[in-house]
Amino acid sequence: MQIFIPLLAGIVAGYLLRRLGKRPNLSPVTNAVLLIMIFLLGVKTGEVKVEGLWLLSVSLVFAILTIAGSLLMVVRA
Amino acid sequence: MRFLYLVLAALVSGVVVGRYLGPDFGNAYELVLYLLIFLIGLDLGMNFKMADLKKVGKSALLMPFLTIIGSLLGALVASLVLGVPLKWGLAIGAGCGWYSLTGPLIAQYSVVYGAVGFLANLIREILTILLYPVLAGKIGPRKAVVIGGATTMDTTLPIIARFGGREVALVAFVHGFVLTAVVPFLVPLILSLFDY
Repeated sequence: MQIFIPLLAGIVAGYLLRRLGKRPNLSPVTNAVLLIMIFLLGVKTGEVKVEGLWLLSVSLVFAILTIAGSLLMVVRA
Repeated sequence: MRFLYLVLAALVSGVVVGRYLGPDFGNAYELVLYLLIFLIGLDLGMNFKMADLKKVGKSALLMPFLTIIGSLLGALVASLVLGVPLKWGLAIGAGCGWYSLTGPLIAQYSVVYGAVGFLANLIREILTILLYPVLAGKIGPRKAVVIGGATTMDTTLPIIARFGGREVALVAFVHGFVLTAVVPFLVPLILSLFDY
């Protein structure tokens, strides 16, 4: 739920900037921060101690099939 | 496409650094995530119009439930194929990508399946980052949101916003928000239902 704090702060700040007639280009900074976040996610993933091929392969099958199931449902809906 | 390569490079280099150097970044991940969410909020605040909210409509509220049912069906198939007891398999699927919750919840009962619950949902999040740009082009940016599960309100929201646009980011946030409210109840419910 902590996620709401920066989100709401951003929305309010963005609204105030709009009222002031200022619209800075956020794309470069957003892209840069996104890449840093993905790098840090990769670091977290690399730190996970996978005990054997079984754990990795079972997890991979679950991940793929749960994604496929969700996709199937939304495509058929 | 060039940005997608940068995403892949960031992810792979992160995995290599995490695996072989194991640096302690403290809570840098959370801080960067909050910064990103702030920037997304800033963008929404600068450009959001009420008409956009109306466009989100009923489908955005229906999608999370399709995501859950699909995840559970996928987990059911995975359980049957791999010979994993349904109790663990369905609980793993019910996590909908929320690895930091699903893993510890299942690990209360089984360390091994707790690890699978963690890793399977972490892989789902990573696959969302890698596949969303591709799937958004093939089945549409709104429908492709479901692959992210509960993560679409935070960790995968930036990639969805980047490749799907502002309107889809709003759909993704609502989708992730509903799942974030449901998953903490669903995983323990499944674990207790199959408590034999």
